[in-house]
Amino acid sequence: MAEHHTAPDYKHKASSNAAGALSGNGRAGSSGGSGGLSGGLTQPAGWQSLLSFTILFLAWLAGFSSRLFAVIRFESIIHEFDPWFNYRSTHHLTTNGFYEFLNWFDERAWYPLGRIVGGTVYPGLMLTAGLIHYVLNLLNVTVHIRDVCVFLAPVFSGLTSISTFLLTRELWNQGAGLLAACFIAIVPGYISRSVAGSFDNEGIAIFALQFTYYLWVKSVKTGSVFWAIACCLSYFYMVSAWGGYVFIINLIPLHVFVLLLMQRFSRRLYIAYSTFYIVGLVLSMQIPFVGFQPIRTSEHMAAAGVFALLQAYAFLQYLKDRLTRQEFQTLFFLGVSLAAGVVFFTVIYLTYTGEPYHHLYAKIHIPIIASVSEHQPTTWVSFFFDLHILVCTFPAGLWFCIKNINDERVFVALYAISAVYFAGVMVRLMLTLTPVVCMLSAIAFSNVFEHYLGDDMKREKPPAEDSSDEDDKRNSGNLYDKAGKVRKHVSDIVTMLMLMLLMMFAVHCTWVTSNAYSSPSVVLASYNHDGSRNILDDFREAYYWLRQNTDEHARVMSWWDYGYQIAGMANRTTLVDNNTWNNSHIALVGKAMSSNESAAYEIMKSLDVDYVLIIFGGVIGYSGDDINKFLWMVRIAEGEHPKDIRESDYFTPQGEFRVDKAGSPTLLNCLMYKMSYYRFGEMQLDFRTPPGFDRTRNAEIGNKDIRLKHLEEAFTSEHWLVRIYRVKKEDNRQGLDHKPRNLSQKQKYISKKLMGGKCAPRGAWLAWRRGAL
Amino acid sequence: MLAEKVDQMMEWSSRRSVIRMNGDKFRRFVKAPPRNYSVIVMFTALQPQRQCSVCRQANEEYQVLANSWRYSSAFSNKLFFTVVDYDEGADVFQQLNMNSAPTFMHFPSKGKPKRADTFDLQRIGFASEQLAKWIADRTDVQIRVFRPPNYSGTIALALLVSLVGGLLYLRRNNLEFIYNKTGWAMAALCVVFAMTSGQMWNHIRGPPYAHKNPQNGQVSYIHGSSQAQFVAESHIILLLNAAISMGMVLLNEAASSKGDVGKRRIICLVGLGLVVFFFSFLLSIFRSKYHGYPYSFLIK
Repeated sequence: MAEHHTAPDYKHKASSNAAGALSGNGRAGSSGGSGGLSGGLTQPAGWQSLLSFTILFLAWLAGFSSRLFAVIRFESIIHEFDPWFNYRSTHHLTTNGFYEFLNWFDERAWYPLGRIVGGTVYPGLMLTAGLIHYVLNLLNVTVHIRDVCVFLAPVFSGLTSISTFLLTRELWNQGAGLLAACFIAIVPGYISRSVAGSFDNEGIAIFALQFTYYLWVKSVKTGSVFWAIACCLSYFYMVSAWGGYVFIINLIPLHVFVLLLMQRFSRRLYIAYSTFYIVGLVLSMQIPFVGFQPIRTSEHMAAAGVFALLQAYAFLQYLKDRLTRQEFQTLFFLGVSLAAGVVFFTVIYLTYTGEPYHHLYAKIHIPIIASVSEHQPTTWVSFFFDLHILVCTFPAGLWFCIKNINDERVFVALYAISAVYFAGVMVRLMLTLTPVVCMLSAIAFSNVFEHYLGDDMKREKPPAEDSSDEDDKRNSGNLYDKAGKVRKHVSDIVTMLMLMLLMMFAVHCTWVTSNAYSSPSVVLASYNHDGSRNILDDFREAYYWLRQNTDEHARVMSWWDYGYQIAGMANRTTLVDNNTWNNSHIALVGKAMSSNESAAYEIMKSLDVDYVLIIFGGVIGYSGDDINKFLWMVRIAEGEHPKDIRESDYFTPQGEFRVDKAGSPTLLNCLMYKMSYYRFGEMQLDFRTPPGFDRTRNAEIGNKDIRLKHLEEAFTSEHWLVRIYRVKKEDNRQGLDHKPRNLSQKQKYISKKLMGGKCAPRGAWLAWRRGAL
Repeated sequence: MLAEKVDQMMEWSSRRSVIRMNGDKFRRFVKAPPRNYSVIVMFTALQPQRQCSVCRQANEEYQVLANSWRYSSAFSNKLFFTVVDYDEGADVFQQLNMNSAPTFMHFPSKGKPKRADTFDLQRIGFASEQLAKWIADRTDVQIRVFRPPNYSGTIALALLVSLVGGLLYLRRNNLEFIYNKTGWAMAALCVVFAMTSGQMWNHIRGPPYAHKNPQNGQVSYIHGSSQAQFVAESHIILLLNAAISMGMVLLNEAASSKGDVGKRRIICLVGLGLVVFFFSFLLSIFRSKYHGYPYSFLIK
């Protein structure tokens, strides 16, 4: 019943999505329309599945095409920072094979330490991309591995919407499922991590997450080992893909625990969880990076505790059949209160000392974590920006779920509450909230449409068509007949306004995707007044210069943000990179950047640095440059070397951070400042501003006469965005510390003596030689 | 003379970890040579009529630090913690040309205090750990801050548990309310609304309730930037979100309940109005914060 009535609406939804996504609009509109208008009502089941299939296909298409902004505007290129590492290791995998990849020791990262890549990554992403590449090549479709990597996330977004459809169908009904699939296909909260080119773990992990949840709900519903094993396999894929699997291994036990509290224990639950826990545990330990963590660390203990509790509970249930009532009650009270108490307090203890608080703590205390913008708490604007109307309507869906509770709706309610908490703590966890918001909003909207669109359908359809839904319809018909004309108009208005809200959602999603989430950040674009576009390709220009003009084993020092890109694009050895596992090494680089030149030279010599790469945005007004990140370098350096670096030295006495004449002398003479503004003082950008005017910080720089002693400028890109300096080698022989004036006196003295015909002492003669040199 | 001063200071500090000073004492024991001990002085205004809430917080942290020092094994006569209250030693404030409280200063055992001997309260804050770091920097005395364990959280939890337990015990014959879905649904929605309106952000960042423009006294409840928010603003958003959700629920109620048709129509219209109006309102607030956002609905 519900499906019939709601289905045409989803068609509208899907086509409006596709239209919003700019591409494929004509096709989407026409095929969606024909699906709805065709009079295939004689076979309801066939009609329904065809429509579902079409809608899911269109959702996939809309999701895929709305992720292509960056590819169309720029080119097929890997984005940002982390994806470059993933791409590099995928490339390594495809060229050297699986075992080489697992044993890969990357000596080009973290010089001189190196990095064991095979044991410190979640390999799922690379293996997926590598497998697709392999299969395509077997079929003689010769694509480059880069293209596979670029388009992997958009393709997987389609799979995500299908698994969301499946999960929502299990939770509510098919109509809500279709709506949820459409939502998740285009919602910005998920697009932010899965545009074409952002080749990152999250892109495939959200699919794995949703699919695991679907299989879990399915196995709780059926109680069959088959579904539980399928759930484990999906969980295994998730573990191999993303560290966020911890969320699953805590949520599913929580679900079981709450079901026990609600006295909803059943054999089905027992079979599902026992199978899931044991097989899932063994499988998850097969990933080298995870190893023995599942039986060691606190995040995984809740799962073990609930497993024990479930066994105890089942055992008691078994005893209940064997013992007398009196005996049993005593035993029951003792056992259950003890076990429940222990488990409950363990869970509470773990949630408090586990992930979220850990992050909260880290955020306050460790500069390197605080410096990453993804680890900030979330404002309401971010929620609204990423979810738009869904964030306002999903509580309604949650309400409906709790009011009509059953086993699997307990699950979705727990999912919603825990995910919303984590999303509030940390911006990046918005990603785990997005799917559940889509599902619950879809439930809310589908509920409304079921009631208000149903009216329309009834009026249009002659009453004697569906024999199966006959009674139901007549009932509702009778109910609404009393309302008469006005009622009909009201429901029309409701439908129209709801559709309008959904349309606005689609438009919002497209706008956000296009404007906020489709920048590769490797290539920048600027727009002129007439709308024409300038491409600033400085990053790749500089990296390519490094690749072509430096020694193959040259070591490049830069701030950690650019480590992966240098390794990926320039193929040179880096000191630190985005895998920020070694704080002291990063602090050493930070110290070099924030010391004066000669102190920095000592550090750079000890680290064998050949080149230094910095990002400077003062010419074009690029705000994400190294001077703006500089205080973090100082803070991180101060954390490890408090005697040498002090943050307060870099501020003016008034506590300001300024680069102009009023800035602190320590800042004006540190290496980073010198490298950023070297020769910049001679440069006049336009006639209104003095030479050496920094556009990012809107200030005339304070130190225009910069001379470098141990470094020399090697390369500066077209818009000065990337500047590379060569570290000069030491002189063959170091000059003495003696003052030259002393020597010349000595020289005079010696010559006098020589003239006097006496033999000069040997030391003096040596000194004279040195002076002459 | 020196030995006498040290003895006097030791006696005071054995009685109280923070020595209270007035103008005369300050001049005799802190300013005047000869000295072989460092003194940390907190200049503050703790009298209630001064209404200095920061002073009180700073004082607590300072007491924690002084106690850590007083009862540590490294306690010696090299370092003393003192306090000068404005109402007891206003002349000291004038003498040092000081016009803000609280201020922490270090008077080294030799020579005059330098610039770095004034603690940079604005930038670092006044946590005891930061103070200890600063003291270690100035005097080479390492103090491990030992905070008296805070039992208030545990006590609150125990109270809550016993309250809930007591309630359950009293109503043990009628435990129906535990199975009340509406109650649970309400609780779940409360969590959701609190999070989606950014209460966690408020909790971590501690923004002001609203901003009052000092020039014209205008109060703005909405922060102009999309990166930040006021507490009042997050409450407004919470209400808007709740209203929209309620609208959706009402729309559903209107259609599914079996009641008077006219009443149901009104409920339906009210629900629709809630959803549409408050959503456009929310959108307009969002638009005012997120500059360059092009879309609006009903309300500009």
